[in-house]
Amino acid sequence: MRTKSAVVICASSLVIGAFGPALAAGNGPGAKAHAGKDTAADLALIDTVVVIYAENRSFDNLYGSFPGANGVAKAPASTRLQRDRDGKPFHELPPVWDGLTAKGVTPPVTQAETEHLPNRPFYLDDPKGFKLSYGTITHDLWHRFYQNQMQINGGRNDKFVAHADSGALVMSLWDGSKTAMWKVAQKYVLADNFFMGAFGGSFLNHQWLVCACAPYYPKADTNPAKPSIAVVEADGVTLKEAPNSPKSAMDGIPKYVADGNLTPDFYAVNTMQPPYQPSGNDPAKDGDKAYADPTKPTTLPPQIEPTIGDLLSLKHITWAWYGGAWQDVLDHGNRSPVPNFQYHHQPLNYYANFAPGAAARAEHLRDGGLAGSEFIKAIDDGKLPQVSFYKPQGDLNEHSGYADIQAGDSHIADVIAHLEKSPQWPHMLVVVTYDENGGLWDHVAPPKGDRWGPGSRIPAIIVSPYARRGYVDHTPMDTTSILRFVTRRFELPTLHGITVRDAAIAAHDEKPLGDLTSALVLKDK
Amino acid sequence: MDVDKATAVISAAGIELTDRRRNGTDDGWSLSFSNGAVVEIRDNGEVSVSGKGAEVVASHLGLPGKPA
Repeated sequence: MRTKSAVVICASSLVIGAFGPALAAGNGPGAKAHAGKDTAADLALIDTVVVIYAENRSFDNLYGSFPGANGVAKAPASTRLQRDRDGKPFHELPPVWDGLTAKGVTPPVTQAETEHLPNRPFYLDDPKGFKLSYGTITHDLWHRFYQNQMQINGGRNDKFVAHADSGALVMSLWDGSKTAMWKVAQKYVLADNFFMGAFGGSFLNHQWLVCACAPYYPKADTNPAKPSIAVVEADGVTLKEAPNSPKSAMDGIPKYVADGNLTPDFYAVNTMQPPYQPSGNDPAKDGDKAYADPTKPTTLPPQIEPTIGDLLSLKHITWAWYGGAWQDVLDHGNRSPVPNFQYHHQPLNYYANFAPGAAARAEHLRDGGLAGSEFIKAIDDGKLPQVSFYKPQGDLNEHSGYADIQAGDSHIADVIAHLEKSPQWPHMLVVVTYDENGGLWDHVAPPKGDRWGPGSRIPAIIVSPYARRGYVDHTPMDTTSILRFVTRRFELPTLHGITVRDAAIAAHDEKPLGDLTSALVLKDK
Repeated sequence: MDVDKATAVISAAGIELTDRRRNGTDDGWSLSFSNGAVVEIRDNGEVSVSGKGAEVVASHLGLPGKPA
């Protein structure tokens, strides 16, 4: 046993050396803070971790009326009242440009029907208002890296409307009390101070879930991606407005000189395509059919940063990313509206360690099946690895524009019901959260962190036999809190991005970010 | 169709704009979207759609017939 341990430590040192500064071998501030003698024993009560990652809802949008939570009723007037680009309060909200409902929704809610809304949040399911059901697909909203920071406006959250492409829609809410997941949150733990790991959209936040890092595009200024480099003001967070941009949000959608995918120093912060299939970009003519055409300006070069998956493998912890409809799309191509697979929601498909042909790809990037059937089978059979990530297919992910709340919420609640009956349930921790806010307003200022985040507040529900019951957890957390738990439970080296975030949070005198354990009572049953 | 209008219509459907640039012949715009669709909008108003998600995007733009 002693010999075995020595070998593992040696192997860790070698790999960490190869990763360079991207890792601190268990010596980040987070690791130090939790290096108690009894830690491993307590956490060992959890031997199966499941992360379910839905799409694009702010906390206030869906859980803003949850009893005991910091909801919309507690929002200060200063954040409820939205301000125009010049800083002056709107007299009324701008209309939802091109209408509130997605194309094909009948009856539609037209742009004209959304005019003259008062300058405050409003409920889409208000019986005296729009009377929409959870099954209605709405117009999508900008959810991009720079716009999210401009909307947050230093924590005032008063420029969500000003820097949006969807007018009043950013201020929309749902009374979520009739959803199936609301009941799950009532039974277990709802975290009401949980923020998305990065500013902006799905692409970057999925990267934060697996890597706590921003992907990098080397020498982007000398290749086809060059026009994708954003033009930003000296503050580093404000997009440079185009001369023909409407001065007021009442007059239209803002325009920018270059609202690209890459920062001026070449980090990819908005959606780029995976370098491997399934990717939005086809293979190159005469190229390897398992790859995306690398000459396309939106194909991101393979990434080499270590991920949480690499660290789990390093410690011989079993793990998998279950992508809903993954194999179906590889075999038959994508289809819309079902399954409407989203290429940029598969973050590990951007990494060289999981390239086609790599053993790690076959072992860890698994098919979740259509409507999650393969993932549910693994649950029912008690064959989940120690750590699982599950990404629902597009029509079941709750993303505005192409998915509704009803289908995704019901699907996730069904998955939870299977998990509760799984042979692995007695020692399981499940986290259900959203990748980002989807451009939707939330009133709580994110903690001041590093250049990447945290961004806006999102819902997170912690489910486990060891979860507190009927509890609202106010502990500050973000997407990296999931990684913090996994890191601590399995005694992994700390990802560099977590170390940097901890240092930035501390430098701003913010409270340290939690690791989910505040939602648990870890005692033998 | 105006390039801003096309972008707004497709983005409203949850299909994110991933690239926007003048085309190689500098007579129009080339737009790429997260579902793999590429929309070419010439300055003379001609619109064509190609790539993986072309059919869906063509439908959103109300383009008749098959995408290019």
